[in-house]
Amino acid sequence: MRGLHIYIQVGVTALALTYAPQLNSYWMHVAIIAMFYAILSSSWSLLAGYAGLFSLGHMAFASIGGYTSALLVQWYGIPIPLGMAAGVVMCCVLGGLIGWVCLRMSGPYLAIFTLGFAEIVRITFSTEDDITAGMAGLHTERLFNTSSRLPFFYTAFLLLALSLLIMGLIVRSRWGLYLRALREDEQAAEASGVPVARFRILIFAIASGFAGLAGGFYAHYIGILTPSLGGLDLMAILVVMCVIGGMERLPTAVGGAFVVEYLLEALRAYEQWRFPIFGILLLLTMRFARNGLLTPLWLQFVRLGETRASAAIAARDVPQKDSSA
Amino acid sequence: MNWDYLFVQVANGAVIGVIYALIAVGVTLIFSILKIVNFAHGDLYMLGGYCGYYIITLLAFPPLVAMFASMAVLFALGILLERSLLTPLYSDRTERKDEYGLIVTFGLAFFLRNIAIILFGPFPLKPPSFVPGVQHFGSFIVTNDRLFAGGFGIVIILALLYFMHRTIWGQALDAVSQSRDSAAIIGINAKRFNSLAFGIGAALAAGAGALIAPIFSLAPDMGVLPNIHAYVIVILGGMGSVAGSIIAGILLGESESLFTAFFPDPTRAFAYTNAFGVLVLMVVLIFRPQGLFGRRHLRME
Repeated sequence: MRGLHIYIQVGVTALALTYAPQLNSYWMHVAIIAMFYAILSSSWSLLAGYAGLFSLGHMAFASIGGYTSALLVQWYGIPIPLGMAAGVVMCCVLGGLIGWVCLRMSGPYLAIFTLGFAEIVRITFSTEDDITAGMAGLHTERLFNTSSRLPFFYTAFLLLALSLLIMGLIVRSRWGLYLRALREDEQAAEASGVPVARFRILIFAIASGFAGLAGGFYAHYIGILTPSLGGLDLMAILVVMCVIGGMERLPTAVGGAFVVEYLLEALRAYEQWRFPIFGILLLLTMRFARNGLLTPLWLQFVRLGETRASAAIAARDVPQKDSSA
Repeated sequence: MNWDYLFVQVANGAVIGVIYALIAVGVTLIFSILKIVNFAHGDLYMLGGYCGYYIITLLAFPPLVAMFASMAVLFALGILLERSLLTPLYSDRTERKDEYGLIVTFGLAFFLRNIAIILFGPFPLKPPSFVPGVQHFGSFIVTNDRLFAGGFGIVIILALLYFMHRTIWGQALDAVSQSRDSAAIIGINAKRFNSLAFGIGAALAAGAGALIAPIFSLAPDMGVLPNIHAYVIVILGGMGSVAGSIIAGILLGESESLFTAFFPDPTRAFAYTNAFGVLVLMVVLIFRPQGLFGRRHLRME
């Protein structure tokens, strides 16, 4: 039976949604945060895994999205969804700008540039404390005025599903092919007719927009926002999620986010040791299983129910026909 | 404008610039041989500082000896890290080496920074001075430690320059950086020089960390900003150019110091000084990615 894995995914998701209200408040919180990270890790994988653009400023965009939304809501009293949308637009514009500015930069230069950008954002947010409340934290309005976490859970799920839908469509279309061409060899891609410059800007804008969306949701879920959201440690955790899951596919990046967030909570007893442990895990994964730990599992899963003859696995995420131009 | 104040700021800028240059020269050396940007360099600097601190406090060595010991320890650690983590960079089977080097060194930085919090504690530590006392300039003072750090930093840089230009190993390093294949043809074992370059880079960072420790205190995240500053310098001075790094290091130290002195809002001056360095980096990357003194064969593609 072809496509068995899709039915299984839909079934498991439906089951998870039905039984979500049974979760206790703590684990529901963990699930919400995991979904927040999943939006970030999948959009980072779009940028770094698919297009090979190693931005270390992804969490900075999340923090920009969060602060934009929180401050607009606070100053002008606009509805929170509108604020989040403004955050997304802000991140898209800034992301496109960053993409445009580093058009000529490759690999490490791009990483250094975005690292610099992230540090400037963090320093500015923590220094301008009469606007952002600095390290003391900015109190934000919560999206729902209830003590229950259930509405947040469903909102997070909706946002994640929407993001994955859009990113999945991008990846499966001709654009996905362009992205991979970009990663493998920019000059060859240019020669084959890929509009490299326009595309790099576009993908930066899109990925940053999703980061802004996640940041906006986070701001209005947690109720307090500090500049450390855009800091290096969280960026590193994001990289850990993508690398451990497998950053060249969206589902594995999402899986990585869930696994790592679960481990972060499950290992809470070890407190400070968690970050070094994940650091070692990242190094080992890079050294010995560079495709990620979840990728082989995912490939097996996708293959479920397929007969040997139809197992065109490698071409799964690549469009078969030129129908989507 | 108070001239004494200006003079003190210029002196401070020069000292910080020399320290920055020490870190940046390591980044440049590692880049020119291994062709990767070491994102963990600031954390090696941090480890060097702590290593010196513990050698002074636990083994009761004099500070200067402790600095050399710390450089030796980090030299060994650098080689160990290079051997265990970076060898896939030299294999033809590894795809997209840039990406590998980037993620591994970024992960290493994350690991070192967080293990340091556990091992050394989150609170700042301060080792004893190299040379206690202060020098007076009008109504302002410069501590002897700053002068010592600047002076000894210059000595280390001169020693490195001598090593690079006047010894056979240094010349071999330069040969490997220019062309790995040609170096191999004339009998240079390039593998060994990968380790040597990373070890020297780590040792220089350790020296900088040990010199700076009595001036600013040691903290687990002290390496983050100097790391970025090292990139500013390396990119300003041109990737792979040791001399360029030294000039750019002092230039950056001076301009930051003067930026602090002239920034209108003193309560925010310090925070924005760090942002200023990063801003310089971004501007240079945009307008002159090959740097001011870049060597053509070392452009990153």
